[in-house]
Amino acid sequence: MNLILRFVRRELRSTEARILVLALALAVASVGAVAMFADRVKMAFANQANVLLGSDAMISGDRPLPDAFTQQALAMGLKITASTRFGSMVSAPAKEGGTAKDSALSDVKAVSSPYPLRGEIEVRGANGERVPLKANVNAGEVFVDERLATRLGIKVGDTIEVGKLTPRVAQVFAEEPEIAGNFLSASPKVLMANADVAASELLGPGSRATYRLQVAGDRAQDFADSIKPKLGPGQRLETVRELRPEVRSTLEKSEQFLGLAASFAVFLAVVAIVLALRRYLKRELDTATLFRTLGAGQRQTLMHFVGQFFVLALIACVLGVAIAFAAQAGLAFAVRGLFASTLPPAGWMPLLKAFATGLVLLLGFAIPPLVALSSTPPVRALRRDMPTASGGGALAVVLGGAAVLSVVMMQSQDLKTGAIFVGGIVVLVGAATLLAVALLWLIRRFVRSGKLAMLGGARSWAYGLANLDRRRLSTALQIACLGLGVMTLITVGFVRTDLFSAWQKSIPADAPNRFLINIQTDQVDALRKLLPTAEGAKPAAFYPMVRGRLIAVNDKTVSAKDYSNEQAKRLVDREFNLSASSTLPPGNKILAGEYFSGPEQGVMSLEDGIAKTLNLTVGDRMTFDVAGDKVEVKVTSLRKVDWDSFKVNFFALVPEATLAPLPKSYITAVHLPTGDNKTLPSVVAAAPNVLVIDVSEIMSRVRSIVNQVASALEFVFAFTLAAGLLTLYTAVIATQDERRYDTALIRTLGGTRSQIRSALIAEFAALGGAAGLLGVLGALALTWALATRVLKIDFSASPTVWIVGFAAATGLTLLAGWLGTRSVLTTPPIQVLREGA
Amino acid sequence: MTPATHDTNAAATISSKPSTNAPPAIQADSLSRVVPLGERQLTILDNVSMTVAEGETLAIVGASGSGKTTLLGLLAGLDRPNHGSVAWHGEIVSSLSEDALAKRRQGAIGFVFQSFQLLPALTALENVMLPLELAGANDAQARAQDWLNRVGLGERVDHLPKQLSGGEQQRVAIARAFVASPSIVFADEPTGNLDTDTGAEVVELMFTLNREQGTTLVLVTHDLDLASRCHRMVRLARGRVIA
Repeated sequence: MNLILRFVRRELRSTEARILVLALALAVASVGAVAMFADRVKMAFANQANVLLGSDAMISGDRPLPDAFTQQALAMGLKITASTRFGSMVSAPAKEGGTAKDSALSDVKAVSSPYPLRGEIEVRGANGERVPLKANVNAGEVFVDERLATRLGIKVGDTIEVGKLTPRVAQVFAEEPEIAGNFLSASPKVLMANADVAASELLGPGSRATYRLQVAGDRAQDFADSIKPKLGPGQRLETVRELRPEVRSTLEKSEQFLGLAASFAVFLAVVAIVLALRRYLKRELDTATLFRTLGAGQRQTLMHFVGQFFVLALIACVLGVAIAFAAQAGLAFAVRGLFASTLPPAGWMPLLKAFATGLVLLLGFAIPPLVALSSTPPVRALRRDMPTASGGGALAVVLGGAAVLSVVMMQSQDLKTGAIFVGGIVVLVGAATLLAVALLWLIRRFVRSGKLAMLGGARSWAYGLANLDRRRLSTALQIACLGLGVMTLITVGFVRTDLFSAWQKSIPADAPNRFLINIQTDQVDALRKLLPTAEGAKPAAFYPMVRGRLIAVNDKTVSAKDYSNEQAKRLVDREFNLSASSTLPPGNKILAGEYFSGPEQGVMSLEDGIAKTLNLTVGDRMTFDVAGDKVEVKVTSLRKVDWDSFKVNFFALVPEATLAPLPKSYITAVHLPTGDNKTLPSVVAAAPNVLVIDVSEIMSRVRSIVNQVASALEFVFAFTLAAGLLTLYTAVIATQDERRYDTALIRTLGGTRSQIRSALIAEFAALGGAAGLLGVLGALALTWALATRVLKIDFSASPTVWIVGFAAATGLTLLAGWLGTRSVLTTPPIQVLREGA
Repeated sequence: MTPATHDTNAAATISSKPSTNAPPAIQADSLSRVVPLGERQLTILDNVSMTVAEGETLAIVGASGSGKTTLLGLLAGLDRPNHGSVAWHGEIVSSLSEDALAKRRQGAIGFVFQSFQLLPALTALENVMLPLELAGANDAQARAQDWLNRVGLGERVDHLPKQLSGGEQQRVAIARAFVASPSIVFADEPTGNLDTDTGAEVVELMFTLNREQGTTLVLVTHDLDLASRCHRMVRLARGRVIA
């Protein structure tokens, strides 16, 4: 063990060992940072989702809830808060000298302390920023929101009239957390103490109010599961599982972006590891020979090297985990605005995952060549030039591939993705090598044709290019590795800029932010005039909506019991919203069958996801009960719906004629700019029954997620960039020894420094140019595939990225090559030749 | 700095009287080594037999390509013959498995190479400790330090090979060859990479230590002066012993 540690300590002085450790540490760090960060964000988003609900779960009912629910929650160690929510007119006292009172219909929530269980009430700080409020609503007090304060012209310290009470306004708040659950009306909010409800005399028998019990704690889901069967009529249970699909889909995409960037960093690190390992093992050949000569058996030699690599891997892992730890803290800082409170700390799993990554990668790639190394024949001590077993052959490929596969699988936890990634790498390396060979062939023809001389190129340039051709295989590999590095960097750069902005644009600034539902047929025309015109100055689209219960599939009666899937059970229990559109709505895509057109009847287009959940496909027949009438339709197409669009989307669409005879209401979506205080009151005045759903808060949250993920991505990109530069450097110095030797020989034979310099420049420029070309072509293919296949967003190639990518690849290779071989020009040739002997 | 080498003449004349009863240190019988060269077979060594008595010093000489390094490799158990056998102290080692052979070499055989073969990442002391550590010795450091003192490098223990001159590196290599008290030391062109004066010093050192330790020494050289200091000389030409 001492011997191993001594060797490791000494080895760490060599460039190869350092690159190896650094590359591995980078792989560990990028996996670790993203895993830890994702872990924290996942936990935080779960909390965040709870924030939207104000708790982990909520039971609500039309009548006061039985005490048993409260008792059970307390018995399970949960935090609870009871509240009552109702609509009421709230008035400001008549102004002095005046008689008219200002009043407004408000969304009143009578809460008990503590409130809320998740998230915080936010008030304005000195500079208008939102700051969390640490205060409870006491009896005799109310908190009102800014809208109400503005409308009634009241401020903190004033009193208002709520029923029979005249509580004092203790706080004016900007936002309170509970915005999900049932859609809210546009009414301003008032928070009062639950204890004051009785005295307000607002809730008499028959009053419309919602009585709620909110719970929070580790066992909230258990509580929800156990309460579900006990729910009586008019009682509902809501948990965070009912998170809005827009938010969920945004989150999933964010994770995809981060995971992708991390996988690329790992891939680049692997390339650097493989390259550094080659050189490292070449050096270790002497050690192996000496060990064998001095009487170490094959096993002893192998154990020594494996031990040495294990220690190196441990060092790299510790280093990587430390970097990961710092980086995820940085990531958390980058997205700090996303979460109301600080992110919960990461668990241990991501750390273990990162650690395992390091060990698996290094040992996976190192063991096969180490086995080959340990069988070095001792006679090599006498004959340095004798051929030796190289990389470890098929075993190396299999084990290395398995190592990458297992790491990628740990990342994606999905065999298919892992296999695609590894398969992709194998194909890429193969294609890159072939392309590199082809490029070399072109260079060779060019040099031999004498065109270079005709173009005024120096003789030394020809020598430099001939050098590339002489080390054909290693040059091809070098170009391939460099090219892959460049490709990855360009791809990530592209993802970061173009793909990302494409995604950002997928939520347009003028996306609808208010949904109007429950519009009656005779109100449609009036409202159409009141509402601002939608995109393209067309009047806002009104979609008819009919509620129906699914009662039979293919003439067989169905009920919730027939389905094992929870979501399917819910779907069958609930009423479907059927809508009509004669044309395929924008943003929808037909996946199977054909969208109905013409006078067809009894047909339906179903959303793909819901069809899967209910196990339905094109050709199946569904029977709905709509207010006592049976409506039978055949599924003629399956659609993919763009849930990110914030447009009105429907699961089930039928021809307009099918809905004509049925009782229906209409729904529309509009974009109301901030500051538009007129449209909604006029809508409410014209159609008091219409419900307005405000999704602007959810949208701004989604937008903020997208923007914050952009900063997080920049951070992960830094890892990819570091790994990429390391790969570049490793690839360039891979043939450094030979080059040093050759150059020293040329100098001995009378070559001048400037001749050698131009030969080196020609060589590295050609190497970098070939790699750049390869990288740009690869990146073009890869980003196209990523955009269209994985992220499903529009692909557009901006020439700047490609030109910059190509130029940067050539320039950096030239720079790295120059830095790596510069010493050749300053070291006395005899020293290099002696070292090389 | 250089160790005491006052009785240089004695080295050549005072033989350590090989015992006639004990088996010879090295016994080679009909050694042949053939390597494939394209489609042909190239015979590097052809039916070479020889005996080296315990404590004897033997020089293998010959022109380049005569097969002398190949012979050394076979005698030292670093390579295997296509025909014939090699025995050390009466035990045939050429038929042993690679690992068993390695085990026999451990501590029993020392090497001095033309290109020194020091590990560049290890200090002088650590290079000398290596054979002892591979054999699992506990007192490796003390013994290695002692041997570096004996070769006159006691002050340079912490230096890396690249910080030492060629002659100093070869002295470290000599210390490494003798540190495990081997019974046989093989040297392949020990002065090949050194200038004349340094070479002479190194040779002096090697012969002195060899005499003090009573080691059997087999060396390959094309330097006839060096060869003449050995008890005996074997001359090779085109893979055969000619004298």
